[in-house]
Amino acid sequence: MKRDAFLAALRTHLRGVPAKVADEIVADYASHFDEGRAAGRSEEDIAAGLGEPSRLARELRAQAGLKRWDQERSVSAAAAAILAILSLGAIDVLILFPVLLVVISVMFAAACVAAAFVVAGIVFLLVSPFHGIVSGGFFKGVLGGIGFFAGGLSLGALVSLCGIGLTNLLIRYGRFHVRLMQPATA
Amino acid sequence: MADSIPIQLKKGVLELCVLALLSRGDGYAYDIASQLAEGIEMGEGTIYPLMRRLQDEGLVATYLSESPSGPPRKYYRLTETGRQSLINQKSDWTNFSRAVNAILGDG
Repeated sequence: MKRDAFLAALRTHLRGVPAKVADEIVADYASHFDEGRAAGRSEEDIAAGLGEPSRLARELRAQAGLKRWDQERSVSAAAAAILAILSLGAIDVLILFPVLLVVISVMFAAACVAAAFVVAGIVFLLVSPFHGIVSGGFFKGVLGGIGFFAGGLSLGALVSLCGIGLTNLLIRYGRFHVRLMQPATA
Repeated sequence: MADSIPIQLKKGVLELCVLALLSRGDGYAYDIASQLAEGIEMGEGTIYPLMRRLQDEGLVATYLSESPSGPPRKYYRLTETGRQSLINQKSDWTNFSRAVNAILGDG
């Protein structure tokens, strides 16, 4: 493989990585070719020494994904990091996928219940004291509303904490495997 | 080094080797990669993901310096954290390899 083909393949496989990071990575490999040429090696020889661009990109992409999760606690960052770890083959997808699907479904359901509680709490708080839906009057209505609202918020917080904890666990496991088990290009 | 040494084993000590090379003096990636390729037959391409990780973890820092030919080179130097990590990893490795050699019977 020639220099340009290698760099183009690397760039293609780095999709999803922030442009600035991808530029830095491609520049690193470009200068590797320059150094190699200056040392009298052929472009093919240098490319062969570097290994498969797709494989290198996979590792670099996983790294970028993990770094983003370290800096940013968001659902999309978590998904990107987990996908990156999966793409390395560090975790068996066939084993993990059903488990992950169940866990995500349960968490999604809990999040929906939490949201419903919050909304119900607000509605209850606004409506019930004045319309006497609850026998017992004003205070019972207000307290009931506050109760629903607070319950919903706590459940929501619990779901977020579980999500963050679960993602961290997966990533720690993946990282541990990547360090030692990931096949290198030798 | 023989081909029979598993790649995983090499990969595990790659970080230690890079830190050790840098402790003897700042270096640029191509030079580090060729020394490792020659010494422990590592693929040269793997050095770049590793250098990025070491940089992310604050074990190495980079600076640009003029090169005799062509554009300026990116040099890596060991940070204080990196130096500390090298000391720890080196003693882990020494203890580990001593134990393995003792079991093999030619330590």
